[in-house]
Amino acid sequence: MHGLDLLSWILWMPIIGVLGVLLMPKENTTAMKTWALINTIITFALTLVLYAKFDTTVSGMQQAFNVKVPWIPQFHIYYALGVDGISLPMILLTSLLFMLCILSSWTQIKKSIKAYFALLLLLQSTVFGVFMSMDFFLFYVYWEVMLIPMFFLIGVWGGENREYAAVKFFLYTFVGSLLMLVGIVALYFVTGQTDGSFDILALSGGKFTTQTLTMFGQTLSFSKLFFIFMFIGFAVKVPVFPFHTWLPHAHVQAPTAISVILAGVLLKMGTYGFLRIAFPIFPDSAKYFATAIAWLGLINVVYGALCAMAQTDVKKLIAYSSVSHMGFVMLGLAAMTVQGMNGAVLQMFNHGTSTAMMFFMIGIIYERSHHRWIVKPDGSRGYGGLYTALPMYSIIFIIGMFASMGLPGMSGFISEALIFLGIYQRFSTITVLALFGLLIGAAYLLWMFKRMFFGEVNPEVKEYSDMTKLEVLYMAPLCIAVILFGIWPSPILNMMKASVGQLVSLLATF
Amino acid sequence: MYLNYLANVGRYIPELLLVVLMVGLILIEATYSNDEKNKKYIFIATCIGLVATLAALIANFSAKGEAIFSNSMIIDPFSTVMKMIMVIGTFGAFYLSSFSKDIYESLKTEFIILAVGVLIGGMILASANNMLMIYLGIETLSILSYVMASLKKNDERSSEAGLKYALYGGVSSGIALFGLSHMFGVLGTIQFAGMAEMITKLDKAQIMILMPSFILFFVGIGYKIASVPFHMWAPDVYEGSPTPVTTFFAVVPKLAGISALVRVTMIFFTVQSPLRVGWIGLMMVMAALTMTVGNVSAINQKSVKRMLAYSSISHAGIMMAGLVLINQIGVRAVVFYGITYVFMTLVAFYITSIVQDKYGNDHFDRFQGLAYRYPFMAVMMTVTMFSLIGLPPLAGFVAKWNIINALLSSRYYSLAIILVLNSAVSAFYYLKIVRLMTLKTQESNETIEGFGFLNQLVVVALTAPVFVLGIFWESVMGLAEGAKIFIK
Repeated sequence: MHGLDLLSWILWMPIIGVLGVLLMPKENTTAMKTWALINTIITFALTLVLYAKFDTTVSGMQQAFNVKVPWIPQFHIYYALGVDGISLPMILLTSLLFMLCILSSWTQIKKSIKAYFALLLLLQSTVFGVFMSMDFFLFYVYWEVMLIPMFFLIGVWGGENREYAAVKFFLYTFVGSLLMLVGIVALYFVTGQTDGSFDILALSGGKFTTQTLTMFGQTLSFSKLFFIFMFIGFAVKVPVFPFHTWLPHAHVQAPTAISVILAGVLLKMGTYGFLRIAFPIFPDSAKYFATAIAWLGLINVVYGALCAMAQTDVKKLIAYSSVSHMGFVMLGLAAMTVQGMNGAVLQMFNHGTSTAMMFFMIGIIYERSHHRWIVKPDGSRGYGGLYTALPMYSIIFIIGMFASMGLPGMSGFISEALIFLGIYQRFSTITVLALFGLLIGAAYLLWMFKRMFFGEVNPEVKEYSDMTKLEVLYMAPLCIAVILFGIWPSPILNMMKASVGQLVSLLATF
Repeated sequence: MYLNYLANVGRYIPELLLVVLMVGLILIEATYSNDEKNKKYIFIATCIGLVATLAALIANFSAKGEAIFSNSMIIDPFSTVMKMIMVIGTFGAFYLSSFSKDIYESLKTEFIILAVGVLIGGMILASANNMLMIYLGIETLSILSYVMASLKKNDERSSEAGLKYALYGGVSSGIALFGLSHMFGVLGTIQFAGMAEMITKLDKAQIMILMPSFILFFVGIGYKIASVPFHMWAPDVYEGSPTPVTTFFAVVPKLAGISALVRVTMIFFTVQSPLRVGWIGLMMVMAALTMTVGNVSAINQKSVKRMLAYSSISHAGIMMAGLVLINQIGVRAVVFYGITYVFMTLVAFYITSIVQDKYGNDHFDRFQGLAYRYPFMAVMMTVTMFSLIGLPPLAGFVAKWNIINALLSSRYYSLAIILVLNSAVSAFYYLKIVRLMTLKTQESNETIEGFGFLNQLVVVALTAPVFVLGIFWESVMGLAEGAKIFIK
């Protein structure tokens, strides 16, 4: 297969899946599910091919895979795709998680199955689009289109309060990205509407350090203003404090598979945006605001962990733990050192697998108990003694929890250690304070585990059946991933090393 | 001289066709007393007439701009494109009226006759090249509109709408006329070109005298496009009028007003002068206000028609933002916006009208669970709502993007930011319909008769451009680009 085709195939394969699902009769749900599964397996296989052909020594975009076709020549807009060491881990993560999500939705989704699978596959395509786009306009299109399937997936298949959650998610992300849109168009004109004016690579490199602009009668630095705009756009997605309030609602209300996608992939789109767009295009401002970003990251880490500690709903607890863990990514980004940046990208991948495990596990237990209370509102225990009743479930849960906690030997440890190595060189106070975040992280997870799994066996719990074969099947790859990359992280680190190094050296020149 | 006039007629065929159509419709209506037959012939005649007009306009488009009838009218690509949009809008409203229950059967012929009349007025306005023609256009447009608004004779709200429209309209066109006469007093001519030339020769004090008269003139046009603060009539009239009439009002008078505004802006304010600065300031403030007030007021509405009325106010505001530039890039963005606006408005009103016909009112609740009964129609409405919000890859996004593009090309950052923030506000109320249709469980199992196969097909056909223009917009952009303004 020619390299040119490969990225387009990965990007459009889910759309073929959507068309297939739409053409099938409504009643034949098994056929639709099978088709969606086969489709995601093919996509996953294609991304593995991409991984196999990927040259880890090259920094920047890999020429072999680049696609560039004019879309709207009049405005110099291209259908341009590319892949480098930062986007490849994300692409792999996306194709893996979507495949597992189809399996997880197999029995869990009971209404409007056709629409669900069509939207899920559409979502996959848009996520690929975000991670592959090398044209700013195309990037924005995918970034926004993603809202449409997400809105419905949360809104139609979610829990009790799903409408509120869906609208809140939509509006938050939409407002953030609109400011980014102004930035995109402004860049287009500042660079003189030439052929590279929407080209993310051509824009990067800190070309806008001296530009100024006048807004509401004030003269402002172009670079700083639009860095802030883009920062807000991406920060809503991450989510960085104080833009995080949509996340607990969206997570709690969304069906299991969508929570997994949301935490596993969509949050990474925010940090990916920093790595691909905000930092390379405005390196001077990134440097200028580094301290502020680090403090925001610290707030995320500590505040997210403290919020998680207070939750009685286990899904909400994991949702807040995502806030906390994404804070580590922000810290790694703010460090702007080789270790920090590598740690951040690795943490993006590792958090994707470990948090996906946690959400899957919560979905599995929810199937049995139909509630998610650690402590019910009336004060009684929601679960208790799961360890005795469901041994298999407990073992996999422990693996996920330890990975999430960052226990040595598990994937989370490597990335967090790298981040701390990186950040210590620049912000020692923040490093010390962030370590408390780790401590609180261990505390809330263990406390949750104690309350749910140990103690007297709850009468309700006795009636639960252990994990089915299907459930074990889709948990297995994630278990392997969190353990394997905890012991041997070099496959992923090698992938990103060259590209991250390039970004770090760019930032170092400002 | 006379030969000249005759030669000009060739460029004036679309308008003449419409006049013939109008007269023909009156004759048909008078000839056949049998309702069924009457309806059938009227339908056929209107279809033929409007299609012929559209064809004549298309034929006119490629020819270069020309001033006709002693320079009183201009036929240029810009006016032709705007006229095409208006004809499409009229056709949409006419087809809607043919099955809408909101208009009494016996009045349907009256509706189309009046609509064609308003369309002629709109076309005059789009082509007007002197102050007199502008005024004539406004009045032809308005007087027939007043009648249309009160078409439901026995309905209290419809009569109220008509009266309100007439009162506001009368006052504002009076004010505009005062402004025009003032201009004539200062400049001594009613020809646009002559006036523009005179303006360059005026000294500062004289320009200061002229400035208020342009503001007064803007009152007349601003009222037609429902710009804040002259928008108060719009929600009441939109809600009170029969839905096909509302659809018609949302497209034809608004776009006619916009095209007159574009022409005036492009003729008078291209030269650097205090007048230009003042006009840009006026347009900026008006655009920002119109967008914001329209959007904010739309949030709390209970009636969908009223919500759409406010939303159309805000869309007019966005189009006005394109006028701030006073160059071809701005005009291009406005024309493109107009094209997408027509299709989005038509789909939204079609579905609202059909739902309203079924339940007798157009409250938001009536849309509840529509996706479970008519998934296809719900998808079309959803697409339109997302397009109105401005989500890619739909036409509404490209339209807004073009306006932002135009604004930033001349470094109007503040207005661009106000515009995008307004999109976010608008998301709130457009999502309300989407939410009700798809996220709420179904209320009843009743069939809605209006969603027959043919009507569904029409709605899909109207939504298709919303999709296509979001992805393959280059050719239409080329069309908008070609819509150059000819000045003579």
